[in-house]
Amino acid sequence: MIRKDAVEVVCKYAKNDVIVSANGFISRDLHSSLEKNTNFYMIGSMGLASSIGLGIALKKPKKRIFVFDGDGNILMNLGSLVTIGSLQPKNLIHIIFDNKIHESTGGQPTFADKISISKIAKATNYTVFSVKTKKILENVLKKSHRLNGPILIHVLVTKSKERSSRVEISPKKIKDRFMNAIK
Amino acid sequence: MNEKIQRKIFQYFKKNRIENFIGVPDSTLKHFIDEGLKSKKILIVNREEEAIGIGAGMILAGSSTIMFMQNAGFANSISTITSLIQLYQIPMIFLIGWRGYLKNDAPEHEKIGQIQPKLLKNLNLENKILTDKTWEKDCKWALSKMKKNIPVALVIRREFLD
Repeated sequence: MIRKDAVEVVCKYAKNDVIVSANGFISRDLHSSLEKNTNFYMIGSMGLASSIGLGIALKKPKKRIFVFDGDGNILMNLGSLVTIGSLQPKNLIHIIFDNKIHESTGGQPTFADKISISKIAKATNYTVFSVKTKKILENVLKKSHRLNGPILIHVLVTKSKERSSRVEISPKKIKDRFMNAIK
Repeated sequence: MNEKIQRKIFQYFKKNRIENFIGVPDSTLKHFIDEGLKSKKILIVNREEEAIGIGAGMILAGSSTIMFMQNAGFANSISTITSLIQLYQIPMIFLIGWRGYLKNDAPEHEKIGQIQPKLLKNLNLENKILTDKTWEKDCKWALSKMKKNIPVALVIRREFLD
């Protein structure tokens, strides 16, 4: 399963939910799979998708908040797992699309194949699922409604040359429409 | 800045509907932070950039937020400030403890303390230095900027050595 296909699968189950997507190709994939006002597309500040998602989750406890993260992104802000695991937001679903590389910058390796992101997340008190296939990903997403967060779905994806186009919406517009939509 | 004023500054922001105070501790700001801890309004996290991310999320959710940190941590966060807070025009107030303001502060603060005013200027981040006499006016100024979607910084100088 390539990342873009995995993003599409998750989007099927997050149509009415808030989504914060990490900078780089992940935001592009979300934009081409499911464009909506309740998406916050990051185009900078690498590593912070999960922190932004946490802030929203704490203030909007009745909404489900998805974070679309990457292995490079979370490894840059591992402390975020500690904070999320400590504060235990029930409405946060943290998805890590893990291709073991920084695909957006040319495919350089991360350390994600040397350590276990899932084990780190377990140690910080997330409910963790590690999935490799579309079918299992769908099963986990279906049952996620019945579970309390924070949930981490570690999605192992393969690298690919498939590219989604750039998000052309201005950052200020992304923010303004997002804030209006989640009022 | 004395203890009493720092506690007053916290209460001033709380009274003016700032809902969240997030950051990384700094000894220059310890009385402000202590006052917030007593009110259970303070969230202390691991790193300043992370704090800014969480604060940004809360502001996106419509909840007003102040960040507190030392100038060293502020310097850590410059890319986050330019590519998240300023780029998306997220109205955040930074409260920054200025280590290295005194020339004989600890050596690790010397360089960053020296360039602190220039750093804010080069970022085009509007800012004021809070003093015992003028803090209320400048805090009010920060709140008015927040309403206009403009992020700003308030600086408290480290005027003692320990």
